[in-house]
Amino acid sequence: MAMGDIAFNLLIFFVILARAQDDSHLKWEPAEASNLEASDHSRASIVVDKENDLYLNGQKIGVGQLAGEVEDLLGDLPAGERTVLLKIHSETLAQRFEPVLEAVSEAGGELVHIVEPESQ
Amino acid sequence: MRARRQSKLLVESPSSATGDIAFNLIVFFLVCASIQPDAGRKQTIPKSETVEKQEENENIKVEVRRTSVLVNGEVTAYNQFQDAIARKLAGKTNQTEKIVVVTSQKDAPYKQWILVTSQIEDAGGVVTVQMEEEREVMLPQ
Repeated sequence: MAMGDIAFNLLIFFVILARAQDDSHLKWEPAEASNLEASDHSRASIVVDKENDLYLNGQKIGVGQLAGEVEDLLGDLPAGERTVLLKIHSETLAQRFEPVLEAVSEAGGELVHIVEPESQ
Repeated sequence: MRARRQSKLLVESPSSATGDIAFNLIVFFLVCASIQPDAGRKQTIPKSETVEKQEENENIKVEVRRTSVLVNGEVTAYNQFQDAIARKLAGKTNQTEKIVVVTSQKDAPYKQWILVTSQIEDAGGVVTVQMEEEREVMLPQ
């Protein structure tokens, strides 16, 4: 019986560890666009939430540090595997999201905008 | 006379297995939750420095605003933009001719920006984003 308890506690430990890098708790509303495709696995996920705060893999970050951090995460990955997921709240203004796009571009990331299919 | 044998079926699982069942259920739901993919739109945005200066004037220019969009200076409603950009890109075969320089006013929302850039790409255009600081005008001395 103790084996089951140990396994259970280990599982809880790893779930909590994974949550630290997760951004599913952040509040943002996706914009709409057409011709969407399923996104690949990505090492970097950037969120600009409803409060206009910027997060990289669930951790709050300043836009000035973003390019360097994304570059570190992507390392020497070849083209095609340098995907960076971009989850920007639909009402975010250009003065906020444009520097984010620039930073990802500077880090050599391949942008995937996470959006919703266009409603008819 | 032999009495009919009653079959005794197991009606409840042994209590010692409850922990294992719970563990397997947790693993099952975790796997289900983690494999849900996001839907997205890939976008390759070349830096505006890669666009040759001498060709910049020949490129189609699109300015995203809060309520409308400017195509080469002409005000266009968002619902008419798709047709307008398709007309501008029609007949352009060269990749450099298809470059569309996108600028945004500071108060332009992301939902309009992504709509405009995705419609440009769907019409065959190549999006190049020109940022605010790159648009600074150098005054002659």
